[in-house]
Amino acid sequence: MNEQKAINDVAYQSSTASNGLAAIGSKTVQVAVKLLPGIALLIFWQWASGRLIKEIYVSKPTAVIARLYELFASGEIYPHLWVTGQELVLGYVIGVAGGVFAGYALGRSPRLARIFEPYVMAFYGIPKIALAPLFIIWFGIGIGSKVALASIMVFFLVFYNVFAGVRSVDRELVNLTLVMGANQRQLTYHVFLPAAAPFVMLGMRLAIPYSVIGVIVGEFTSSIQGLGLFIHEASSTYDPAGVFAGIVILLGFVTIANLIAGAIERRLLRWRTFSGSGPIDA
Amino acid sequence: MDDRVLVFDSIGQDFPSPGQRTPVRVLDGISFEVDRGKFIAVIGPSGCGKSTLLHMAAGLLFPTRGSVHHRGHNVTSVNTEVGFVPQQAQLLPWKTLFENVELPLVLRGVSAPERQKRVTDVLRSVGLLGFEQHFPSQLSGGMQKRGSIARTLVYRPDVILMDEPFGALDAQTRMVMQSDLQTLSVEAGATVIFVTHDITEAVLLADNVVVLSQRPSKLLANIAIDLPRPRNMFEPFKNPGFDAAYDAVWTEFRSQIQVGQIH
Repeated sequence: MNEQKAINDVAYQSSTASNGLAAIGSKTVQVAVKLLPGIALLIFWQWASGRLIKEIYVSKPTAVIARLYELFASGEIYPHLWVTGQELVLGYVIGVAGGVFAGYALGRSPRLARIFEPYVMAFYGIPKIALAPLFIIWFGIGIGSKVALASIMVFFLVFYNVFAGVRSVDRELVNLTLVMGANQRQLTYHVFLPAAAPFVMLGMRLAIPYSVIGVIVGEFTSSIQGLGLFIHEASSTYDPAGVFAGIVILLGFVTIANLIAGAIERRLLRWRTFSGSGPIDA
Repeated sequence: MDDRVLVFDSIGQDFPSPGQRTPVRVLDGISFEVDRGKFIAVIGPSGCGKSTLLHMAAGLLFPTRGSVHHRGHNVTSVNTEVGFVPQQAQLLPWKTLFENVELPLVLRGVSAPERQKRVTDVLRSVGLLGFEQHFPSQLSGGMQKRGSIARTLVYRPDVILMDEPFGALDAQTRMVMQSDLQTLSVEAGATVIFVTHDITEAVLLADNVVVLSQRPSKLLANIAIDLPRPRNMFEPFKNPGFDAAYDAVWTEFRSQIQVGQIH
């Protein structure tokens, strides 16, 4: 009988074991291939600057690096970094928390969803950037207005993903778990939250660049300090190296945030990596 | 002591039908009883409401007319005394096999050492030891099905409701599963209601075969199958008396199958 089971039920073994040297070799190659377009672009930029286009318009990589060094060495950039960093983290966290909470509540309750979904949809359609001047009036010129702008952009993205995720949970799975003896709290913990987790993660990832956009637009509109202000000032004083230096720092922010989100995703969604629908970044 | 575990008492069910004012009558006055330790197969043409009966026994759906009684109590809310094995295995994809099978015990507040022991025991009995840490996506269809059955057996429900559990399996896996189910249910002395559309499967597994008609379904017959156990699932026709039992069910069922009509 056991033999028959073995024949009929062959497990799909995950092919995690690949031989060491080949794996290392292919990994180096992979990284190199990834870096290649970026390096090519930088070289072209360096070469073209002053030859094809005036340097005053586009600066050049070496000048941007020099400028970055100067900004950090003199400490000039730190107050801007601190302010923008605070705004990003606060805006992101508030937006994600609100989005997860509201998305979950509306996803679980069809009655709430019927009432509120049209409103959320309507507000979703408003270009949030157009709200920036109003937010400055409402929340002041300090970090409040930027946090509000970033969190509202993040909120909608996360909200829709979580809402869709919770609603997509198989009804039969819920019924089965109820028959197994689950109460509402256990149902949330064992079924709805894990089922919604991939959608929450997707929303959180998509929301990272949006929080940056929200904060920078807010700072562009009006602010006392921050990277947006720094970039704005650099561009209005014909300092392209300064503009690019600011942009490089923002790139750094987004990259670090993405790495953190990727690590969380791999940890939380370990089960998905086996079904071939895991995180797409290496 | 009353041996009747589950009583379906003149069950009627209407479902609202899209685009029509009058609802569709699916079940019409179905009555039968399930005795303790018995294996009941419910058979009928597709769309006749077989699964609906199971949902009613589980308290996931309530009949328009009539009532379901479980050990004398009218089923009016989710019935956690029963176990449900669905068509698809429906293991939670984010839990390992062990965690899946453990879940009902966790929900019922069974202590950790006790859980460990019971899950290991039940996984051994369905032949899945060694796969505890696998996620469902790493298991074959047959293994997932075993997991699904183990998850139900582990909390020793009073009645096990099975909704065409082997319908999606290939023919060989299916025979092995039928054979194992017979062994498991006899060992556990389990009371089972097994919905299927396969006459051979019904006759081989069941103590009683309940035959339903086409919609609106009425109960055509409740046929006792007196074949000796264990029955041979791999060569059905070698079971003494199988022909007669199959014939008895088929005689009732044939009127419900119109040859050449598309369902």
